[in-house]
Amino acid sequence: MERNEAINILAEGRGDAVSVVTMQSVYPWHQAGQGEIFHVDASQCMGSASSIGLGLAVARSDKKVMVLDGDGSLLMQLGSLVTIAGQSPANLYHFVFANGLHQSTGNQPLPAIGQFDWVALAKGAGYADALRIEAAEDLIERLPGIFAMTGPVLIELTIEREDREPLWAGVPMAKQTALLREQLGAS
Amino acid sequence: MTEAKPVAVGVEASAIVSELRALGIDHVICIPDSYQKTLISALREEPGIRFITACTEDEAMGINAGLYMGGKNPMLVIQNNGIFASINTIKAIPLDARIPTFIFVGQYQRDPMVPMEESRSRAVRMVEPTLDVWGVPHWRLEGPDEIGNIRAAYERAQETLGPAALIVGAPTL
Repeated sequence: MERNEAINILAEGRGDAVSVVTMQSVYPWHQAGQGEIFHVDASQCMGSASSIGLGLAVARSDKKVMVLDGDGSLLMQLGSLVTIAGQSPANLYHFVFANGLHQSTGNQPLPAIGQFDWVALAKGAGYADALRIEAAEDLIERLPGIFAMTGPVLIELTIEREDREPLWAGVPMAKQTALLREQLGAS
Repeated sequence: MTEAKPVAVGVEASAIVSELRALGIDHVICIPDSYQKTLISALREEPGIRFITACTEDEAMGINAGLYMGGKNPMLVIQNNGIFASINTIKAIPLDARIPTFIFVGQYQRDPMVPMEESRSRAVRMVEPTLDVWGVPHWRLEGPDEIGNIRAAYERAQETLGPAALIVGAPTL
């Protein structure tokens, strides 16, 4: 599926989940109107989206937390799969946009493409469940069921290659943090 | 012949935990450190503190950020090499994103008989200069009389919405 298709479906089905989004999903998430409510971008931190999501999920077990990760980003902090599994956050939904590329730096291929398996990695790390979705219509159909699952769940989304310049929302993470804390009643 | 006195002596883990409880710490994210072994054991058992073991310091700083965003009062326990390993994340999260990040840094391989600046260990010698380069304020804990530095570091992190480190200069007792 195309990234924007996935983004729009997730935006539609998000409900009041807290979102943590990184890299090339940031701009379309903001364009889909999701950037100012219960949201933070993981900017410039090379793979920290999953860890930030874990902290939020532990802090706020009353809310669902969704992480929109990249496959290249998650590889940079791959151990976070095990750390997340160790805490067993039932409210954490970890979407991995898998295009096999470091898109933000010019579509360089990830190592070992076609040889590693996100679903197997997540299950092997100890996630409660993991699944792969390749088509937009399947994501539409399965999303409500996914949010009804007990986390942590990893959802690998098969994303088509995009040949465009990287896009950024340009909203400082510090500003988002202050707003999110206010919205969560934490400040 | 007079016996040489150590530059740094250990502080009881129970005294440190009392100080952390007084500061309202509710979550500890840890990458294991031999210098803080007794402290880590005490924190694991402390009621009212959720203890989270992470795989890397990068993860620990992300988890700390998420906990803070959600209204919790977390801290990190790591070793000196972890500072070097996580510089990009220190830049991006505590500094740029303005996240209070209160860090205990164990001086792994430090000989307490020798001042940190004169240590044979590059990690021991370089941790404070590295923090200085990045503008991360730091305090030392080199004996029971310096226990007030825990509060000083914590309060700086909260006041500045940024990182602050406490350098643990001798193995905790």
